[in-house]
Amino acid sequence: MKKRTAFLGLAIATSLALVGCTASNTGSGSSGGVSGEPVEGGTLHVLQNTDFSHLDPAQGFDGGVNNFYRLIYRTLTTQGVGEGAKGTEIVPDLATDTGTPNEDATEWTFTLQDDIFFEDGTPITSADVKFGVERSLDPSISIGSPYAKIVLDMPEDYQGYYISGPLDTIETPDEKTIVFHLNQPYADFAAVVGQAPFTPFPADGDVTTTSIDQQPIASGPYRVTEYQRGSTLVLERNEYWDAATDDVRTAAPDSFEWTFGLDAATIDERMIADQGADQDAIAGSVQAASISRIQTPAIQERTIQGLQGCTTYMPLNTTKPGMDDPLVRQAINLAVDKQAVKDGTGGSQLADIATTMMPPTVAGFAEFDLYPSEDSKGDPEAAKALLAEAGYPDGFEFTLDIRNNPKMQAQAEAIQQALAKADITVDFNLIDSATFYEVIGTTSQQHDAAITGWCPDWASGATFLPPIFEGTQIFEKGNSNVAQLNDPAVNQRMTEIRAMTDVDEANAAWGALDEQIMELAPAVPLLFEKAVMVVGSNIAGAYAHAGFSGGIDYVSVGLASTD
Amino acid sequence: MTLTILRRVLAAVGVLLLISLFTFLIFFWLSPDPAVQICGKTCTPERIDQIRTQLGLNLPFWEQYWQFLSGIFTGRTYGEGAAAIDCAAPCLGFSFQTNESVTDMIVARMPVSVTLAIGAALLWLLAGIGGGLLSAVKQGTGWDRGVMMTALAGISLPNYFVALLLQYLLVVQLRWLPFPQSVTFAEDPLLWFQSYLMPWLVLAFGYAAMYSRIVRTNVIDTLGQNFMRTARAKGLDGPIVLRRHALRPSLTPVVTLFGMDFAGLLGGALITETVFGLNGVGKLTADSIAKNDQPVIMGVTLLAAALVVVANMLVDVAYTYLDPRVRVKSA
Amino acid sequence: MSTVPSELAVETEPKGVLPTGSAPTPARRVITTLRKSPAVVVSVCIIVFIVLLAVFAPVLSAITGWGPYDYDPSAIDSDLGGIPIGPLGGISAEHWLGVEPGNGRDILVRVAYGARVSLMIAVSATLITTTFGVIMGMIAGFFGGLADQVISRVMDFLMAFPSLIFMIALLSALPAGNRPALLVLVLSIFGWPYTARVIRGQTMSLRNSEFVEAARASGARPLKIAFREVLPNLRGTIIVLATLAVPSYIGTEAGLSFLGVGVMPPTPSWGQMISTAVGWYAVDPMFFLIPGTFLFLTVFSFTVLGDNLRRVLDAGDAAS
Repeated sequence: MKKRTAFLGLAIATSLALVGCTASNTGSGSSGGVSGEPVEGGTLHVLQNTDFSHLDPAQGFDGGVNNFYRLIYRTLTTQGVGEGAKGTEIVPDLATDTGTPNEDATEWTFTLQDDIFFEDGTPITSADVKFGVERSLDPSISIGSPYAKIVLDMPEDYQGYYISGPLDTIETPDEKTIVFHLNQPYADFAAVVGQAPFTPFPADGDVTTTSIDQQPIASGPYRVTEYQRGSTLVLERNEYWDAATDDVRTAAPDSFEWTFGLDAATIDERMIADQGADQDAIAGSVQAASISRIQTPAIQERTIQGLQGCTTYMPLNTTKPGMDDPLVRQAINLAVDKQAVKDGTGGSQLADIATTMMPPTVAGFAEFDLYPSEDSKGDPEAAKALLAEAGYPDGFEFTLDIRNNPKMQAQAEAIQQALAKADITVDFNLIDSATFYEVIGTTSQQHDAAITGWCPDWASGATFLPPIFEGTQIFEKGNSNVAQLNDPAVNQRMTEIRAMTDVDEANAAWGALDEQIMELAPAVPLLFEKAVMVVGSNIAGAYAHAGFSGGIDYVSVGLASTD
Repeated sequence: MTLTILRRVLAAVGVLLLISLFTFLIFFWLSPDPAVQICGKTCTPERIDQIRTQLGLNLPFWEQYWQFLSGIFTGRTYGEGAAAIDCAAPCLGFSFQTNESVTDMIVARMPVSVTLAIGAALLWLLAGIGGGLLSAVKQGTGWDRGVMMTALAGISLPNYFVALLLQYLLVVQLRWLPFPQSVTFAEDPLLWFQSYLMPWLVLAFGYAAMYSRIVRTNVIDTLGQNFMRTARAKGLDGPIVLRRHALRPSLTPVVTLFGMDFAGLLGGALITETVFGLNGVGKLTADSIAKNDQPVIMGVTLLAAALVVVANMLVDVAYTYLDPRVRVKSA
Repeated sequence: MSTVPSELAVETEPKGVLPTGSAPTPARRVITTLRKSPAVVVSVCIIVFIVLLAVFAPVLSAITGWGPYDYDPSAIDSDLGGIPIGPLGGISAEHWLGVEPGNGRDILVRVAYGARVSLMIAVSATLITTTFGVIMGMIAGFFGGLADQVISRVMDFLMAFPSLIFMIALLSALPAGNRPALLVLVLSIFGWPYTARVIRGQTMSLRNSEFVEAARASGARPLKIAFREVLPNLRGTIIVLATLAVPSYIGTEAGLSFLGVGVMPPTPSWGQMISTAVGWYAVDPMFFLIPGTFLFLTVFSFTVLGDNLRRVLDAGDAAS
């Protein structure tokens, strides 16, 4: 009797212990769903349609690749984490603070933290930061963020480290200190050093103009272990990254794995189906067609939404006959049916109507609508009246450059439809995606108007309005001022605002300038597009970052559990 | 015989050279300046010039063509000094958009296209020849009509339509299959099979339809020929007659066709791979055309043409063995 | 490569219509025989319907009140990504075959205008390739020698080209311009060898027949012989080739438009509508089923007609 009871007791005790063990193993999950805290470990999968443009931070220049760079690279400062303004705020990264300017903000000093290392264990010094900037100025690779070129003081013919040697205007008095000399007062320089070309690389290594793009040298929490272009990319932990030196990055997963070349509709299907490893996956914004399928509560729970932080707009080439008349441009502004453009883009979940050029995510944003119509559907009658006043009583015709992709075509057709009601005929010039920006950026090749977008390099009006509306930024090639606006009053005001040392005052001024520019109607603001992303059911810490075109912040996201 | 073969080989080489010249010519004239594409948003005329020199774009047409051609056999180097890029033989070009040699890109994606081609070929040969034979032997019956109707549907339905339909039914509605993914057999045999099943079926359907029609026509013709009547008069039985005497002459045209079709598929099933999202040579072609990655388009075009020309030549040579009449004629 | 099979099918079935050297089958007999086959009757009806649809597209547009480019925002749900309101892709009294998602354009009207484009391109290409192919084929087959060598080599070259890739690359590199004309040109360049091959083969066999020898013996000039004696005997083959070429070009144009290098939006085209519908097939399958079905029926009907024509003309000639 005693034995059997003892045996039973042992059996029960053992089974309880076993259950207890398993229970504690599964207890590593987090609460809070997709926005909760991620757990450490696991592999996060990312499904993507196109590859990253470049692994070299001197070359990549779009929201997606900038988001990616944060995983493997660190800069003196970087954007924050969190939704909305928390994400676009500039915070220190490798540096101890956001820099100390001299009196007129023409000289900036930064101090590096301790215990920062590259992926091979060598410490990151100020010489490495200096070298990183110098190499990025080589003309063969300086196709990324242009601010180093614009703002740093340098000889006119400086062509980067490999051709012209080191740049004396960047001083490194000791291993932890770096001083930048600028060619103009720049109150926002802390944001400039957060740009990708300021990524440090070993100054005495064998870093060439092409070596980084093929094999990056990581300074961030991860390093590249496998890369097959157009196919896969794998990141694993950089053991020399010290979380104590990094207030920005959570870096929860042990590794990241990208799969490229997937068809967009297929990605949507897989994220909706949530099978197998896709439960640990994230992707980009869904297609318009998938919107109606993600309305069930189960999928809505794992859907993230946010503004992309960019403006989709139609610049009107002010140098072309007809378009040089503000009345004509204002008529076009009045006639466009923005509701139809929104529907063509996917409806209210994927876009908001824009009546200002600056998006709401930029500091200093001011709401106004100079060309109102009922439900933003356009006012053809008012447009016709303006056209008659301008001398076109029988209507007007122009050629629109559009990119050969379905979304932009849908937007263009909506515009064509609406303008037809105001007797404005729109002819299309379809340009394939690869050469589109080349054509509209070449003043001799562009036509009367185009549909394009603009995202601020950081959330300030200074990176939004000048590149697209400043007279001195009209270039024969690679031109971003597609409207070719060259208004003396506007140009002057921009110079004035840039000289302001009070950042808040400057931001408000940019907002007011937005309205001033729209009175000249050099463009038609169309939409503020939104990102709608469905993530796997085992994802945590995911949110749309306003500084990376609404993409999910890679450095904050992770898995909810690692079983 | 050897003379014939030699002549065929020379002709094939000639055709290939001509195709390469034409392709190069067309892209030389029509393509936008690749230097400007690579230059990106922040560009200057000096920078463009620099890239053009590096790519050798400032050379006259014939020199560029010669460099391209010789690169195929000996490899070539783009640019000089620190920025020089080496492209090992056989160098079919270098994509500056993705920083890879075209040969590498194609080789990486070949396995997918080869898997597609072989699987589909097996299926369509089976279905096509089997169906055609069945129809021919049972000419005029319900079997014949059924097979021919299906074949007609097969050649009338565009394959992207069939692909979408199949995917909609099997994956979205019935959930019998998962979405096709690019996995190798070694990684996950089951998923591999499930991923390739639909593309195989779609490709095979179209080709089987065409083949069954041809086989049927040929078999019926052969069966009606004089020598067949003689065989039957001699008292030989149906199946033997079919196998011994009818099959060979009916199938030789199919061999020609198969050679070309299979080689064509190896060059990538553009539409099918795109619709199913499989990373094969066909998808590479479609993507490169969308991005206007000129070197890749040229490389793939040449490869596809080479495969077809070689296949044609091989089939021609094989024909002389298969069909004695040809041997006699060319002697 | 949906059309290459059809084109090749024509090419490698070298017995187009057997030329026997006697008088060609009278048209009336052909029609009577064809009328007896239900498949043919149905196919012809479908073809006639599609042609009428294409020809009277503007009338249809006037009746329904929708043009091919008119948007109807009330038929789509803006809050759900622009999906059509109502079942079956928005079929209603207003829109007999539903609407396109994202803009609410009427599908029936767009299918009708798309038929115009597709038929026009296919018929033009057929006319050009048949004419040119017959001429080239006859020259090569009749005169032989150097002419034959040159023409045959050119045909070999064109047929060895990976035509689909080349057409796509060519069309995407060229500026938008007059797309339909460009398509007809490209299709014709790569299409004529298939016709020419068959014609060449048949001309070569006819060259040695008695009536041609007789004509030559009587001193007639080669050109006259070609037109008077050979061409009429090719009539059957030419008709069959042409009838089978039309669906092949419709399919190729649809394929090219599907890949985005054919007819450019907003001009409707069946292939292009299917291409746009790809993204929506999970939630609005009608959007891709409808143009797909029209495409299928058209190609199918022409092929059935062509097949039966060949059968009848074959049998007719062989019988007499």
